Amino acid sequence: MAKKLLEIKNLKQYFNEGKKNEVRAVDDITFDIYKGETLGLVGESGCGKSTTGRTIIRLYNATGGEVIYDGIDVHNKKSKKDLKMFNRKMQMIFQDPYASLNPRMKVLDIIAEGLDIHGLVKGTKERTARVNELLETVGLNREHANRYPHEFSGGQRQRLGIARALAVEPEFIIADEPISALDVSIQAQVVNLLKELQEEKGLTYLFIAHDLSMVKYISDRIGVMYFGKLVEIGPAETLYTAPLHPYTQSLLSAIPLPDPNYERNRVRKGYDPKSHKYLDDEEVTMREVTPGHFVLCSQREFDSFKKA
Amino acid sequence: MTNNLEKLPKDSFERITIDSTHAEKITKPSLSFWQDAWLRIRKNKAAIISMFILAFIVIMAFVGPYMVKFDPQEVNVTHANLPPKIPGLEKWGIADGQGKLGTKTLDIYEVKKIDEYYWFGTDSLGRDLFSRLWMGTRISLYIALVAAIIDVFIGVLYGGISAYYGGRTDDIMQRIVEVLIGIPTLVIVILMLLVMEPGIWAIIIAISITGWIGMSRIVRGQVLKFKNQEFVLAAKTLGASDSRIIGKHLLPNIMAIIIINMMFTIPTAIFFEAFLSFIGLGLQAPAASLGTLINDGYKFLEYQPHMLFFPAVLISLLMIAFNLIGDGLRDALDPKMKD
Repeated sequence: MAKKLLEIKNLKQYFNEGKKNEVRAVDDITFDIYKGETLGLVGESGCGKSTTGRTIIRLYNATGGEVIYDGIDVHNKKSKKDLKMFNRKMQMIFQDPYASLNPRMKVLDIIAEGLDIHGLVKGTKERTARVNELLETVGLNREHANRYPHEFSGGQRQRLGIARALAVEPEFIIADEPISALDVSIQAQVVNLLKELQEEKGLTYLFIAHDLSMVKYISDRIGVMYFGKLVEIGPAETLYTAPLHPYTQSLLSAIPLPDPNYERNRVRKGYDPKSHKYLDDEEVTMREVTPGHFVLCSQREFDSFKKA
Repeated sequence: MTNNLEKLPKDSFERITIDSTHAEKITKPSLSFWQDAWLRIRKNKAAIISMFILAFIVIMAFVGPYMVKFDPQEVNVTHANLPPKIPGLEKWGIADGQGKLGTKTLDIYEVKKIDEYYWFGTDSLGRDLFSRLWMGTRISLYIALVAAIIDVFIGVLYGGISAYYGGRTDDIMQRIVEVLIGIPTLVIVILMLLVMEPGIWAIIIAISITGWIGMSRIVRGQVLKFKNQEFVLAAKTLGASDSRIIGKHLLPNIMAIIIINMMFTIPTAIFFEAFLSFIGLGLQAPAASLGTLINDGYKFLEYQPHMLFFPAVLISLLMIAFNLIGDGLRDALDPKMKD
């Protein structure tokens, strides 16, 4: 197995901690991301997928737990220099292409922002050259550099967001629902671009989405989240063919296929957390059922999974 | 149909290839936000006319006092209470120096044997009203502009800090504002003017002492709106410092609203200054502002209506012009907010 790039250990993100309206957006999740892979993170709206991504990249200060990048805990670092190094290695692509580009800045300045902050280029000439190169990488024209974001379509804007993230030459990119705001025909464009870039530059992705078929297409491994908890994680193929956790089964049963025969007979499963019937003294943790395939379950459930 | 097509001569067709690199081309000329706003405000006739009127008033406030040979503060009791007399216009029966003396209407200039022309007449102390009017306009504009700049400065800083740092800082700062806004403005202003030495700065401070609150609330709202937008988060993930985020991302986005609000603050300040002067808390003689001129004029409204007429018209023009420009700017800078 490939080298571990990122280890997330018992990550917790609580909002309004200790108050009546406490929200446990991310509740004690643990997983690893390997170098060069794409980990898809799926789950229903509001289950904490985006919060997980944002906490990993330090947009929020974690309530608890560790994020270890290449052996270094990124949440305990204090010095500005270390933080900057980390900012270069890890980047993010945002969900809403209309909100993620500053409407008052030219494309040139938007993409060059990372270059400026990290002092990666010397002089205007090199800066423009680098931006042009990045624009071409994401399939846009160099003439676009002097335009404002409102002149672009949604797909073009999302590609500008990708170019901005690529400017600092990151190793790891968190894609926070990068395609959910786009037209279906444009979704493929952006996803294919991400795939090409991964092959070219050896990038590692955390791909957050709720479009299951798209996640299956792009991911090597998939994690399923439910109410702030990671309920199942495993290789994409295994997870799709043999889902173990009832929530994953419910989620997969909801995928429509363009096949009338299949659709007529498709059984949609519901999921009720009470169906587990956990006892008070049972410990519910992530357990490895088959190599690399973890499920959140009790010992009793684990045994029954093993048998099956 | 298909048969006909086959008979078409081959040489009348030309093969073209589409260059895929042109697919993403944008032909529309690139316009910055401000160029775009200018295109929109150009169509707003009221705002454009107001701009010309305002420009005229501002220019006159600087050159007006020097267009006539009289000093705005020079008292000449023998020339007191003269009606307006303008060369050229006098033949048509307007501004011809006619005024009431007792029950009769006479040419006062002839009665008093005065050869000079006082374009807008004189006041009860014989000071030339034309030069006084523009001098007064200059001081009113100065007070309003400085007060507005102070409002913007404090308001943006206070509102910006309150919203950007949020949490407890925001709570404490907003409670302070609520206390301040609970005290009636006029009470604070009168107390301030009693304590301070009367003069331009006393009025400016009196206007600014609570005037920044409105601006700070607007700025706070805007910063709250923008600080969690994804483009700001993107800048954070790139490692941008707070000063960079504020300077490059937040300020340019709220600049339009600050300018619009300032355009409405200036006429309010002019009006407030006039009000203070009118109730006798403003500038002291011989200094003049539009407020003191109106105050002087209204005492002689029955016999010397010109003394009230000119400053009143000017202050109305200023108010209307500023408000129409502000309206036009709001529509131009923030098309989504329209109606």
